[in-house]
Amino acid sequence: MSSVASTNKHVGQSKSRSRNPYRLMTENTLSGMARRKALMGYLFLFPTILGILVFTAGPVLFSFVLSLFRWNVFSPPEWIGFVSYQRMVTDSRALTGFWNSFIFVVFAVSLQVLLGLVLAMILQSHMATWLRYTYRTTFLLPMLMSGAATAIVLGYMLHKEFGAVNYYLGRIGIPPIPWLTQPTWAMVSVIMSYLWLSTGFAMILFIGGLTNISNEILDAADVDGARGLTRFWNITLPLVSPTLLFAAVTGVIGGLQVFNLPYIMTRGGPGDSTRTAVMVMYESAFKNMEIGYGSTIAVVLFLVILAVTAGQFGLSKRWVFYQ
Amino acid sequence: MNTTNGQGLSRRDFLRWSGVTAAALAVAACAPASPAPQAGAGDAGAAAPAAATTVLRMQVDPEQEQPVVDMFRQNNPNVDFEFVSVTGIDHEEIAAKILTMVASGQALDLGYAATEATQLYAGQKLAAPIDEWVQRDAEELKEYFTDVHPSLIQAMMWEGSLYQLPIDFNAANMYYNTGVLQEAGVEAPKTDWTKDDFYNIAKATTKKDASGAAQTYGYAWTNRLWGGWMPWIFVNGSNLLQEEEASGGEWLWSGFYADDPAVQGRGGGWRWTAPKANDPANVEALDFLYQIYQEGITPAIELGGGDTLQGFFTTGKLAMTPAGGFWAGSLKNAGMANDSFDVQLMPKWKNQRHQFGTAGQWIFADGKNKEAAWDYMKFRISKDAMMANGMFNPVTLTTPTRRSMLTAERFADTGPANWQVFYATLDDHPDTAPIPAPPISNPMTALFVGYTSRAMNGELTPQAALDGMQKELEDLYARNPDMYTKAS
Repeated sequence: MSSVASTNKHVGQSKSRSRNPYRLMTENTLSGMARRKALMGYLFLFPTILGILVFTAGPVLFSFVLSLFRWNVFSPPEWIGFVSYQRMVTDSRALTGFWNSFIFVVFAVSLQVLLGLVLAMILQSHMATWLRYTYRTTFLLPMLMSGAATAIVLGYMLHKEFGAVNYYLGRIGIPPIPWLTQPTWAMVSVIMSYLWLSTGFAMILFIGGLTNISNEILDAADVDGARGLTRFWNITLPLVSPTLLFAAVTGVIGGLQVFNLPYIMTRGGPGDSTRTAVMVMYESAFKNMEIGYGSTIAVVLFLVILAVTAGQFGLSKRWVFYQ
Repeated sequence: MNTTNGQGLSRRDFLRWSGVTAAALAVAACAPASPAPQAGAGDAGAAAPAAATTVLRMQVDPEQEQPVVDMFRQNNPNVDFEFVSVTGIDHEEIAAKILTMVASGQALDLGYAATEATQLYAGQKLAAPIDEWVQRDAEELKEYFTDVHPSLIQAMMWEGSLYQLPIDFNAANMYYNTGVLQEAGVEAPKTDWTKDDFYNIAKATTKKDASGAAQTYGYAWTNRLWGGWMPWIFVNGSNLLQEEEASGGEWLWSGFYADDPAVQGRGGGWRWTAPKANDPANVEALDFLYQIYQEGITPAIELGGGDTLQGFFTTGKLAMTPAGGFWAGSLKNAGMANDSFDVQLMPKWKNQRHQFGTAGQWIFADGKNKEAAWDYMKFRISKDAMMANGMFNPVTLTTPTRRSMLTAERFADTGPANWQVFYATLDDHPDTAPIPAPPISNPMTALFVGYTSRAMNGELTPQAALDGMQKELEDLYARNPDMYTKAS
């Protein structure tokens, strides 16, 4: 071993590197710059990381802890271990909440993604620019509206006897539909309302995904004679699959946490037919003042979302194509 | 081995410094506020500072309360008020918001609660009993108690102590649209009308078009604890929960109602000790309501406080609905003429027992200004203050608890003509009682409303729905076995 290397105090220098003072000075300056850059980067990240630690990670951890206690806020917390989890397993209302959330996600998210893709493809087709902008704005506008206000208005419009929707359906001979008073129809109404509010977002995602498809690929497909459904299935869909994955993942995460629409439109009814997992959590924690049990439901919901998301990413290796 | 010097901040160092900074910020945030500036040295013998201003944080509707506050401050200029407005679709939602507010550390001095939340706050020891103050200021309060029916006072008691002085109440009476009844050629209901009379009137006033769709409904109701189908449970001689009287209360009855026969047998408040949801009388009542829904006499039930029904009533699409004195001014404000509607007692079934709810202010047990809060509470129930308050002036938006305030003059402009019914529900029917509202009223109400809707939409038969409700209420009671144990 060279005595030069053993006495070398500079990081990363090999014994074969020249000891040109100018080079050493440049390297010192460069490592100083790298340090400053790293520091600046960390400083910019710091507020976000602090926010995540304080407002997200901390409360999540606290929820885990709370789920092991019985606590009504006004009396001291009482350690009960996993009793709340055992209770949840036999609580038909909580299980119904999770089941309703699952049903909601299956139908609402599937339709949201499908409709978003279809609308995006239609908007990307040949049409006058002004028409394209008009339709795009029209489909996006509901996304800007308050979910709570929308739910209130739709609740009135979907009233079985006095709602506007049944009035106009009656004019074309369709008997009144119990939109909010019959269990199946109530879920349909909530799903329809969710689609109206959120399809615009999916549409925008897919517009971005479709725009990123290279025209060269599409032209080549044209030359090879690929048209219509063949082109969609073999070219467009694979190339837009990363966007599809993103839309599906975010849709499922949001869908499993839906609250405002069923809470305002139906209060979870009739019965428990539109009561979602988050509604059960909210009612347990803030109406029944069972903070511990509400935290249990929150923890279980977190684990369900984690598992579903992990499953989606795991399966994505089979069908998502990255260019 | 080479060191890491000069290669930038490591991830470990960054996380270490982030944790140190976060801890430092947390410690700084927990540090006490710097003390107020003290008088200079040698000022020990200086003149006393000006009287400190007390700020009372009060949960009220600011618009309705402001006139009363202005009157109070004329004699109490050192008391300031901070209004905290809490809204909700119904009482249990408001109670949930207040509980959450208190749990998050937002202290209040005075709240306003209805029967639905009286035992909730008392049972959670959020509300302070006012026995000592009432007894101390008995002379001042004699006039008030003389003017208020004892059943309203009893509804504000819990385990022998009084927690609120009721300001307004509402019993569920039957409102009817006089125009709709006249059009159907039906006579207005009499005081002693029966359930069968009710059915005949409801059927006669229901109008359907050629396709069978209803144009006018004979009856409608809102799915809620007060005034939903609870009135029918009561007139059928039953209740949702087993009821009994708590012990105690002699200090109040003997002190203020010694000569009143209406206090005979009254104790220290109500106890609702066990569920009886699937009592045969309750099944019969729910079955009756489901039957008239099947016949098209009633529409699908509504959630909430009944505001939506008001629209149908005022436009002649609804003949009858249960409501309280709160509808007198509301219908006027909605444009109804004072002779276009009237009110009657609930029809008689097995009996003619009515249900009511009442409300008043309560003092927070942990409030810092309880004495000032009591002074305001006492002033609030004075006749002058009640006459000034926006709830009763310029129109009656709810029924005042003071008998002397229910006059022909009060209802001349708004209607109803038969306004005497409001207090007659208490005076002439001593078995009239508050809606069942134990300390667990929030989850209890959720179960009541939930199973009611399942029965009314046909998902469950009335029997199955009430069996399910009974089972869940029993589980709820089992999780709260010490509701009526008052800690010393």
